[in-house]
Amino acid sequence: MEIASFLEFLQSDATQRTLLAETREHLIMIALPILGALVVGIALGIAAHRFRFLRGSILNMVSWFLTIPSLAFFALLIPIVGIGNTAPMTALFFYALLPIVRNTVAGLTSVDQAVVESAKGMGMGRVKRLLQIELPNAWPVILAGARVATLLLIGIAAIAAVVGGDGLGQSIYRGINRIPAGGSLEAILSGTLMIVVLAVLIDLIYLGIGRLTIPRGLRD
Amino acid sequence: MTDTMIELEKLTKRYPGTEIPAVEDLTMGIPRGEIVVFVGPSGCGKTTSLKMINRIIEPTSGHIILDGEDVTKSDPDKLRRRIGYVIQQIGLFPHRRIGDNVATVPNLLGWDRDRTNERVNELLEIVGLDPEMYRDRYPKELSGGQRQRVGVARALAADPPVLLMDEPFGAIDPITRTRLQNEFLRLQQELQKTIVFVTHDIDEAIKMGDRIAILQERSIPAQFATPEEILTQPANQFVEDFVGSGATLKRLKLTRIRDIEIITDCLTGSVDEDARTLRDRLAASEWTGMLLLDEQKRPLRWLRAPDLDQGRSLREAGLPAKAFVEPHATLSDALEEMLLGSAGVSIVVDKHGVYQGIVDVDTIIITIQEMRDASAEFYRTAKLVDPAEVAG
Repeated sequence: MEIASFLEFLQSDATQRTLLAETREHLIMIALPILGALVVGIALGIAAHRFRFLRGSILNMVSWFLTIPSLAFFALLIPIVGIGNTAPMTALFFYALLPIVRNTVAGLTSVDQAVVESAKGMGMGRVKRLLQIELPNAWPVILAGARVATLLLIGIAAIAAVVGGDGLGQSIYRGINRIPAGGSLEAILSGTLMIVVLAVLIDLIYLGIGRLTIPRGLRD
Repeated sequence: MTDTMIELEKLTKRYPGTEIPAVEDLTMGIPRGEIVVFVGPSGCGKTTSLKMINRIIEPTSGHIILDGEDVTKSDPDKLRRRIGYVIQQIGLFPHRRIGDNVATVPNLLGWDRDRTNERVNELLEIVGLDPEMYRDRYPKELSGGQRQRVGVARALAADPPVLLMDEPFGAIDPITRTRLQNEFLRLQQELQKTIVFVTHDIDEAIKMGDRIAILQERSIPAQFATPEEILTQPANQFVEDFVGSGATLKRLKLTRIRDIEIITDCLTGSVDEDARTLRDRLAASEWTGMLLLDEQKRPLRWLRAPDLDQGRSLREAGLPAKAFVEPHATLSDALEEMLLGSAGVSIVVDKHGVYQGIVDVDTIIITIQEMRDASAEFYRTAKLVDPAEVAG
């Protein structure tokens, strides 16, 4: 395969339509698991931070998920949730938990104890302290966890195509199935390229979210 | 209304798994409107005792009576909103602006926005920070001294009758610390809060306290008395050792400039006058130098005769006037400023910086002499041997 032929492949209308559609599917596939993992992960992180005896079990549990090979995880879920996007999305949700939970615990632990004590000393109750003082101060670290989780999911989501899921994995899977026919490498490469582009874009989006949501007093 | 603001009754803290309690049966009355200092060696339980008053640390047994009301079992959050709290690490909220930090308790109490804003501006001014300049800054943009001023403003926000201060000036450089101590004492003259102040520094205790509790291990008071009493009549060996040597020097910290006679007839000149008039006046006097004041009578420069001959602008002639002290500063402060300043005297100014007079070494020596005489008198009447007589 030559660069010229790859560029030609990328320029064709059909390719671009396919890639755009798959990119959209890819994004949708990771969006819901990330949002779900943020809600559940932060809650688990808070629980692990507050109740010391739970910390070990919570962190261990979310670590185990990440050790299950993704293909196996997707396949194992099919009997439960059926074929299509549901199985990979469920698995992606579990994969996203570890970075978010771990960073929530790390972020909350890193909040200056004097800050928490002074809040307590002024008569701020537990819930107010958590919502107004601890979480805002832990937010930069939590957000970094969410970013890692999202990037992780962009990569893993490509494997969903194998179990009948949508997304950029389809271009790659299609290509693999046609090897050594002409155009197979181009398909694999185009899917991979779009995943990289997507990752860079999401990184930029996280930079923007950071700008908007991290209070100025916490930025460097 | 009683004269005792805080009553501690047999307050005990026993941590699980330890045999010896951290604080044992601490009973003490804290008089309304006074600064009571808890001082003692590290590990004596003074901070634990302080933190039991606002129940940051819950007492194992005993009672806390605040203004006649037993608050040992009341809602801790409501209790804490009535008690200002200042800690050594300050603990400003880094994600909130200075103004919002100060507004913490008013917001918890549900004050309306206008009242809160007004109060925030007022407090920043009280602690010497221009609200326009600092209200919208973040804590990290302030120096340590400025942050602790904000810490004090935040503690005073809802005008609580009681203030707990845990080594508030401990982490601040010595020069700023002295300034903050002086400012705080001036503030306290106006506010008349009931303050419990913890420090490990006996000098700070003597300077800040209306009353000092010297605590031994398990927070057992070795002596609870005024600074004067502690310096002149230490209750036991522990107090004597803790107060240490140099009692006379320490007593310089007890006497304030407003209590002694300062020199008010020092030769002064005004920037409105010309150099010639000033030179003639200096030559006609017995003084070797004069103090130049600006239009608001604030000291500017020290001038000697040769400085007035050089034809330079008066504002640049001679040496800059330094070593300012306010009337509530102690003789120890005055002495220290004197040693740092250029003219060998401290200039006394009021809080607006307006010239009042000067203090020189002689003033201080005379005061020390008087203190010695008073002390000798005390020993004589107490039928004790005056150490000075033995030595003589």
